[in-house]
Amino acid sequence: MIAIYVCAVIAVYAALRVIIERNTMRKLPFLNVVSFAVTGIIALLLPHPITIAVAAAYFVGSTLESNAIASTWAGGIKKP
Amino acid sequence: MNDIVMFASGALILIGTAAAILNRDPFDKLISLSVLIAGVFPFIVERGFLDVAIATALIAPLSTIFILMVCRRVQV
Repeated sequence: MIAIYVCAVIAVYAALRVIIERNTMRKLPFLNVVSFAVTGIIALLLPHPITIAVAAAYFVGSTLESNAIASTWAGGIKKP
Repeated sequence: MNDIVMFASGALILIGTAAAILNRDPFDKLISLSVLIAGVFPFIVERGFLDVAIATALIAPLSTIFILMVCRRVQV
């Protein structure tokens, strides 16, 4: 019961840190923290066996998304 | 029971929307959009639409990757 509340608090705190940070590179770890916390919320929200498949799919998708943004930002912002 | 978690997810959606409106850099807009999508998922799972949640979790990063190609094309 208390674990899902901890996940919700972590998600909101990390989202606030995403807003507050000015540098784009410092936003990206907190975006990962939001994704992990939402994965925990999804896994703990319903007592159903397919929920773990939803959590795994969301974990893979959000990690892919964050790493795509990070790699594009690291390689695309420099001008030759 | 789950009201606090749903309030937190709604706060996540509102935070992502406000940040996506207010930011100027396209990468910051994409990061805010990711926060927005993360807030939508607990509402889908809470009603029991687990297959819809799986499909959305696999399709939503594709749209982000397509927008990323546009961002890189504009900046280079």
